[in-house]
Amino acid sequence: MKKDRVVVTGLGVVSPIGTGADAFWNAACKGVNGIAPITAFDTAGFRTSVGGEVKGFSPEAYLSPDQISSMGRSSQLAASAAKMALAQAGIDITQQDPYRVGVSLGTTMGEPQILEQGIEMIYRARNSASGLPADLPAKYPCGVISANVARSIGACGPVIMIPTACAAGNYAIGYAFDLISTGDADLVVAGGSDPISKIAFTGFNRLLATAKELCRPFDKNRDGMCVGEGAGALALESLTHATNRGATILAEVLGYGLGCDAFKMTIPDPSGSGGILALQRALDNAHLSPDQVDYISAHGTGTEENDKTETLIIKAVFGQKARSIPVSSIKSMIGHTMGAASAIEAVACVLMIDRGVILPTINYTEPDPECDLDYVPNSARNAAISVAVSNAYAFGGNNSTLVLGKFGG
Amino acid sequence: MDQPIVITHVSAVSCLGTNLGEIASSLLTPPRIGAVQNFEFHSLPASQPCFPVRDFDPEAILGKKGLRTKDRATKLLLSALELGFKSQFESASDESRPGLSIGTAFGSVSSIGDFLSDAIVNGSHNVNPQAFANTVINSPTSNANIRYASRILSSTVSTSFNAGLDALAYAVMFLRQGHARCLIAGGLEEISYYACTGLAATGLLSPFGSLLPFSREAAGTLPGEGCAVFCVETEASAQERGATVIAEIAGIASCFDPKRGPLGYDPDGHGARHAMKQACVNAGIPPEEIGFVAASANGVAAADDMEALALSDLFPKIPIAAYKSKTGECMGASPCLSMACALADMKAGRISGLGSAYPLRRDVNLVFESIPVASKQYALVNAFSCDGYCGSIVLKNRT
Repeated sequence: MKKDRVVVTGLGVVSPIGTGADAFWNAACKGVNGIAPITAFDTAGFRTSVGGEVKGFSPEAYLSPDQISSMGRSSQLAASAAKMALAQAGIDITQQDPYRVGVSLGTTMGEPQILEQGIEMIYRARNSASGLPADLPAKYPCGVISANVARSIGACGPVIMIPTACAAGNYAIGYAFDLISTGDADLVVAGGSDPISKIAFTGFNRLLATAKELCRPFDKNRDGMCVGEGAGALALESLTHATNRGATILAEVLGYGLGCDAFKMTIPDPSGSGGILALQRALDNAHLSPDQVDYISAHGTGTEENDKTETLIIKAVFGQKARSIPVSSIKSMIGHTMGAASAIEAVACVLMIDRGVILPTINYTEPDPECDLDYVPNSARNAAISVAVSNAYAFGGNNSTLVLGKFGG
Repeated sequence: MDQPIVITHVSAVSCLGTNLGEIASSLLTPPRIGAVQNFEFHSLPASQPCFPVRDFDPEAILGKKGLRTKDRATKLLLSALELGFKSQFESASDESRPGLSIGTAFGSVSSIGDFLSDAIVNGSHNVNPQAFANTVINSPTSNANIRYASRILSSTVSTSFNAGLDALAYAVMFLRQGHARCLIAGGLEEISYYACTGLAATGLLSPFGSLLPFSREAAGTLPGEGCAVFCVETEASAQERGATVIAEIAGIASCFDPKRGPLGYDPDGHGARHAMKQACVNAGIPPEEIGFVAASANGVAAADDMEALALSDLFPKIPIAAYKSKTGECMGASPCLSMACALADMKAGRISGLGSAYPLRRDVNLVFESIPVASKQYALVNAFSCDGYCGSIVLKNRT
């Protein structure tokens, strides 16, 4: 089978520390903490009141009033990020064959605020749904997110939503990689999106998985994750397509791998079996050996179980080299943005590769003997990165690793 | 396609039965319409005609262990896998146990909605934390993945009523790329208060309690539920396993139609046309080679008009089957249930009819009385959604 290489030519991000690749990058390099008291809903009585909300997001900058009113927040975040990515890539979809342009997105909760709104209306009306606005239900199914993005950018090719929880962004980018490398599409906007939601906040609180104040991945005193929101999007295209139009190439997608724990819904396999499979398969898919990896973007949620298990996974795959590879978690700054997380982390990896700086793990004060790798504590670090891997793990033991590299021509 | 991707087994939990033989028999009987009204936290204002899986007894299929915390969507999927693939899972090694690619429009929206309802009724601090795991859309697939200890793939696809077809497309890509040699792919949906309420508010439900595809009187659809899953693998994998090939996925195509007409459907059917054409191109056959089409038509006038227009352009004389008249609109599961029906008909050597004829909206060669399937080997299965998702799959009969 003829296979084309897949390159990244545009980035879009909406995050708790900044909207747009440059704003996000500048804040992340400074180690800005995006975790703050949640304003979207009442958090009284919960274990925590903080999360990673996107502040000052104005979808009007990217979408028309009609588009905004027809979309839930997750779609607005995703479509805005997609438009940013295409703008940076310098792509005018009207000049493309629209059937060769696709969208591949992931999410964990989809558009939960729509369902929350609908159910609250039903209860307020004494269990009657007769007053539900006719256009409300259609905004809910998570498939509308990728449909809204496709409609907003004019894509008519393969459009897919892969809601594999907190690994969804990597799954979506992986599928986009396959679509392009097999020649089924020339260009795919890939990424993930999730809004802050009462349901996720409630659920993770009830699981006692949330941090009280700060997200401290790999720190001995870590006490959980912080629920966040955001979107990340990458303009991916075949090398042939990018070269023909003279595009600036930011990085190359080298491969990806998936692996399953087959263990529990909410707890990772303590042996890290699925994460190890995903990492090994990703390196195999990219035709790379562990020795060639320069940086690891960790799933790094800040929970006791995840960080311990992920450290074990990295050691299992990289052996002695594990201690010399920088590993960092940007969730320390933006919280866990669910289905957007690995998409935003992919954006971060591309920026790190392009700009030669490794983003830090902030809030790191005390090493944990069980997490004994180089977590790039608290300060960004200058370093050339040729190959970065990005891990993302999810409820259900759905594990994934994406491999990105510097484009070498 | 570079290497043939074949279907070697089918399993279902549906109102028509659990395997191709049962489905083939049921297709010759009148629609089995039931009704729902009361759910755990809510009730519909009136009894809603629908196509439920009647007498569904997951404990009898799966045993009691571990079912207490599982929702209906998960039980439907687990049951279809248990009935069809238990021995395949058990006999395979860790490395070769098939992975899963499952399409669903909603996941278990009952679990999600009930979690929220519970929080409103009983307070957010009192909700059952165990129930939270069921609120992620990939919960049914992941629960199945855990039960059957599959290490290769656990993927959920959610593209509205096209989800099952796109889950198959995902699986086909995964196989073509060599990530795996054998997968189980399909579609799944449960009937829920939330889906029924949403469909009603949107104006998609029939006020007459009937589902008449392409009917001149078409005024809406009826909800259904079920799960249909297929073992899809490379031809080489099937040969090595000694598996009998039922059909080949000769071509599959998905595209998006951004134009929105009544209820979200493009009245010109650009996307529908493109999907059907491209599926034939991918199969390497001209449209004339298609023996019959399994339509997406579900009794929603705008949807049926769009498809009828596209069909009349591309397949003016080819017999059209409309299986949703017997399954209901099973949302994300629909494409796979239609595919199971098409395979059942192909195996039985006929195209099953809808029964009594009724006036049609457009000139569609809809099959009312069952007819023998033509000598042609190919069938086309369509899935078109109100969100703009369009997909078609070309099946080559290998029985």
